[in-house]
Amino acid sequence: MRDVAVLGVGLHPFGKFEDKSVTQLCREATEAALGDAGLAWTDVQAISAASSRFSGGKGWGLNGNDVVDDMGRTGIPVFNLSAGCAAGGNAFNIGWTLVASGLHDCVLVVGGEKMPKGFIQTSGVDEETDLEYLRQLCVGMPGPAFWAALCRRRMEDFGTTDEDLARIAVKAHQLSAHNPNARFRNEFTLEEVLASPMVSDPLHLYEICPVSDGAAAAVLCSAEMARKHTTKPVWVASSAVATAGFDDGCPNGLGTVVPPADRTLHSEASVAVSRALESAGVAPGELDLVELQDNTVFYELAFPEDWGLCQPGEAERLVEKGETLPTGRLPINPSGGFLSFGEATTAMGVFQVCELAWQLRGEAGARQVPGARLGLGQTLGLGGNGTAVVLKT
Amino acid sequence: MSSNEQIPVVEGLFAETAAGPRLLGSRCRSCNTPYFPRSPACHHPVCTRSEVDDTAFGPRGKLWSWAVQNYPPPPPARFDEPYVPYTVGVVDLEDGLRVVGRMSVDDAKSLRAGVEVELAIEPLCHDEQGREVMSWAFRPL
Repeated sequence: MRDVAVLGVGLHPFGKFEDKSVTQLCREATEAALGDAGLAWTDVQAISAASSRFSGGKGWGLNGNDVVDDMGRTGIPVFNLSAGCAAGGNAFNIGWTLVASGLHDCVLVVGGEKMPKGFIQTSGVDEETDLEYLRQLCVGMPGPAFWAALCRRRMEDFGTTDEDLARIAVKAHQLSAHNPNARFRNEFTLEEVLASPMVSDPLHLYEICPVSDGAAAAVLCSAEMARKHTTKPVWVASSAVATAGFDDGCPNGLGTVVPPADRTLHSEASVAVSRALESAGVAPGELDLVELQDNTVFYELAFPEDWGLCQPGEAERLVEKGETLPTGRLPINPSGGFLSFGEATTAMGVFQVCELAWQLRGEAGARQVPGARLGLGQTLGLGGNGTAVVLKT
Repeated sequence: MSSNEQIPVVEGLFAETAAGPRLLGSRCRSCNTPYFPRSPACHHPVCTRSEVDDTAFGPRGKLWSWAVQNYPPPPPARFDEPYVPYTVGVVDLEDGLRVVGRMSVDDAKSLRAGVEVELAIEPLCHDEQGREVMSWAFRPL
């Protein structure tokens, strides 16, 4: 495999944009990424796009084709990747593969989404053969209740308090206040987080990510091409994809098998991350920063432990001591994370790559992780999809 | 509008048997893996025979975790108006299944991980004809 550089990144700010189509959001992200790379649209040799569930793509998830139609048809191959909320991460993995394999020298990875109002309905299939549909019909346990149940179990196991959870939301907005692309940039006090409406006990409104409109793009290229355009490239140290194992304990659908006691939940995420770290030759302790999928504050406690970044039960104290801030020993989500951006589901894997690239170039301003040289991004999505990427200077 | 008539929210998922309420699933004859709801095949990656038998699961298990549904859930979830928050549980049945279901409790604060629970069949809501729409639930012992 060849070395692959992230030559340019671009983000459309996140929010609600009534007057713009998803294609327009993707165009602005794409133009920003091409401008950042110093390339023209006609330099792009292939597209790896996240398939949107909610917008554009002619209803078939053909969002990469929308981008080609919009930017101008050049006859390039288009790959549309569907992986639930992990689609952006999957699209990145395929884009990386296309360059690393030598098939193409320059590939655009793009993901954009315009989300409907309210919390996401898990399944798009209204049939009794669909287990997620059955779960909502027979039990009524949407995403936030699923997250709340995982979180409650942690509270039982480790004595995590309401304040421990709220502190993570406070930290997220402390950082998003410095991120012009974030949707929610107001800082909150611990009391304000705890006073926000209870969505699914124990999780409050400010402890859960809402949905947003947004788009993200990255231009990947060969080392040879990168060196013609920059003296300080950001490299892809590794990119990995996984799916959940059979004996994963996450209660999806109506249920699963009781897992062996030592199994972690969300094995799709931990396996993708361990594959990425192994393939990059990086020990967990060497990472300078992590952008992880914080649909809820709970994940910011559980994932670092699942992945060996800290000890089980240690995460609450790291947050309390400020160790997950950019200046701490385990900086997590310096962007402000999903909590501050809201989730434009299929854009998120590429959104993380944008933040990692800015951090590694030292361009992240007041949220900069000092001296960041090695960063991890991670997404997971419906169907048991997990992705991880390690970028390095 | 009310009647004593009851209908299941979905056919074929649970039953009131002579021994009490049960969930209707399958178990692999070869590797013993349990499934709920019924599965026409075994999905264990190393199981090659894939012969499953209809199996009734329950009634006993331990609460793994729970959550309160504080806001009215989006469709297809069903509830009576005015909306009253309910508790959902994740229960590890003695049969080796981890199952989700409504918790039959007035106050979730009384719950603890590991408490013994028992399967019940309880009304989820009422339909347009005033019939009780039934689903499975778990009751702490």
